[in-house]
Amino acid sequence: MLGFGLAKGLKYTLKNLTKEKPTYEYPNEPLPLPDRFRGIQKFYPEKCIVCNQCANICPTDCIQLTGKKHPDPNKKGKIIDTYDINFEICILCDLCTEVCPTEAIIMSNNFELAEYSRDELFKNLEWLDENDENIRKVNKA
Amino acid sequence: MLRTEEMLLNVGPQHPSTHGVFRLVLKIDGETIVEAKPVIGYLHRGTEKLAENLQYTQIIPYTDRMDYVSAMTNNYVICHAVETMMDIKVPERAEYLRVIAMELGRVASHLVWFGTYLLDLGATSPLLYAFREREMIINMLNELSGARLTFNYMRVGGVKWDAPEGWIDKVREFVPYMREQLKGYHTLVTGNEIFMNRVKGIGTYTKEDALNYSLSGANLRCTGVKWDLRKDEPYSIYDRFDFNVVTRETGDAWARYHCRLDEIVESLKILEQACEQFPAEGEILAKVPKIIKAPKGEAFVRIESPRGEIGCYIASDGKKEPYRLKFRRPSFYNLQILPKLLEGETIANLISILGAVDIILGEVDG
Repeated sequence: MLGFGLAKGLKYTLKNLTKEKPTYEYPNEPLPLPDRFRGIQKFYPEKCIVCNQCANICPTDCIQLTGKKHPDPNKKGKIIDTYDINFEICILCDLCTEVCPTEAIIMSNNFELAEYSRDELFKNLEWLDENDENIRKVNKA
Repeated sequence: MLRTEEMLLNVGPQHPSTHGVFRLVLKIDGETIVEAKPVIGYLHRGTEKLAENLQYTQIIPYTDRMDYVSAMTNNYVICHAVETMMDIKVPERAEYLRVIAMELGRVASHLVWFGTYLLDLGATSPLLYAFREREMIINMLNELSGARLTFNYMRVGGVKWDAPEGWIDKVREFVPYMREQLKGYHTLVTGNEIFMNRVKGIGTYTKEDALNYSLSGANLRCTGVKWDLRKDEPYSIYDRFDFNVVTRETGDAWARYHCRLDEIVESLKILEQACEQFPAEGEILAKVPKIIKAPKGEAFVRIESPRGEIGCYIASDGKKEPYRLKFRRPSFYNLQILPKLLEGETIANLISILGAVDIILGEVDG
C-alpha cells in the first residue's frame, strides 16, 4: 500500500523525539576529549637535548629548531635556542612526541587553532611553552 | 516536431552531492544525459610522489588522508606491504586491535554512506541517525588512537597504542546496540516508497560489465560476484572469524544499498568474535629496527576496504624510503563506470547513481 512505508518511518522519527540528546553544547561547554587526543603540542625547553629527531621525523617538515652551547662550561651537550612549529602545515600526526627521548614535546587537548592571519599560525618556543593546559598524561604506550 | 539543442552542463566541482570536489561535464538533450565526462584532480596531493622522499613511518599519516572516511584500512595496507617485504610477524594482540579498529571503521564508513546517500536523495533524518551511531564509533577510535578521523594508529610491526582500560567492553556493548539501530534504519528507510522508486532499477550493470571495469567491493558484489578478500585471500587474522560475503543479484542502486547495510551486520559479527577472542595480554609491537629499511625488491598486497580492493605496491632499492609507491585506490576504479551508467539517464537520476557508487574524492585523486 502506498504511503505505508512513509507512515512507518514517521513513527520511528516520533519515537526518537523523546530520546536523550546526543549532541554536545560546544562551544558553550568544553568538548570532552580522551587523554590520548592529539592537539597542539606543549614544549618543555628545559627537557630538550637538541637531538633533532622531531624535526627529522616530521612528515611535513614543519618543525625548525636551533641549539646553542650549554652556558655552564662544565656541562656537555646543547640546550635549545629557538623552536618553531608552523601550524599551517603541521598535521598533528604525533610522530614528534613518539620519537622524543626526553618527552620534551608532548601533545595537549587544545585544538582551537583558528587565527586571523597566516603569520599567527607560526608558533615559537615561548608560545609552545605557555601552552600548558590539558596536557596528555600518558605519552608512551 | 520541436527542434532541440544539446547543452553543456557543469555539475561541480562544488556540488554538494559529489562529496568533495568532483566535476562532471554533461552533454544534455533536454533532461536526458547524452554524454558524461568526469573531471578529477581537484584534490590531488601527489601522495605517491611525496612518499618517495619519506620514510615508511612518515607515509602512514599521508595514507590517513586518502580515504578519510575509513583511514584504518589505509593505515593497514601500507603497514601490511612493508611487513610482507620485511617478513615481520605481527603480535597476536596487535592483529586483534587492528581488526577491531578496521571493522569499526568499516561500519562508520558505511554509516556515512547511508546517511549522505539518503541526504542526496532528499531525506534529512536518516543522516542524523546514522551520524549519531557513527559518533559513538568515532569517539571509541578517538580514545584508542587520539584522533577522530586521521588516526595514524598502525605502525610497521603492530600498533601505536594498546587498548585503554575497558575499551574492548565498550566495543562489545556497541555491537548489540548497533544491531538494534539497524532495525530502525530499515523501518525508517528501506520500506519507504519514495526511496524505492528512486533506487530500484537505477544504475544497473551486469556482472560482465562490473568485471570488465574492475569494480570491487559492494559495487561488484551487487551483481552477484562473491568476491571478498577477507574470505578469498584472508590477510591478518580474518580466517579465524565466521562471517558471510554479502551479495545481491540485480546490480542496481537498490542492491548496492542492501549490500552495504548487510555488510554492517557482517562486520558486527566479526567485531563480536574478535572481542570474544581478544588475548588478555601480549605485545602490541613486534621487534622492528628503529629505522625501517625494506629489502631490495618489490611487493604488492591488497585488502578489502569498505569501498573495495585497496592495494599497495612498493618497489624498494633497500633504502629507508621507497623507490616507488603505488596505491590501487578503489574509488578511482569504481568511478570509471560512471559515464557508461549515466548515458541516457535523466539528470534527476544522476545523483542517485553517483551516490550509489560511493566515492571518496581524497582517494580518487590520490
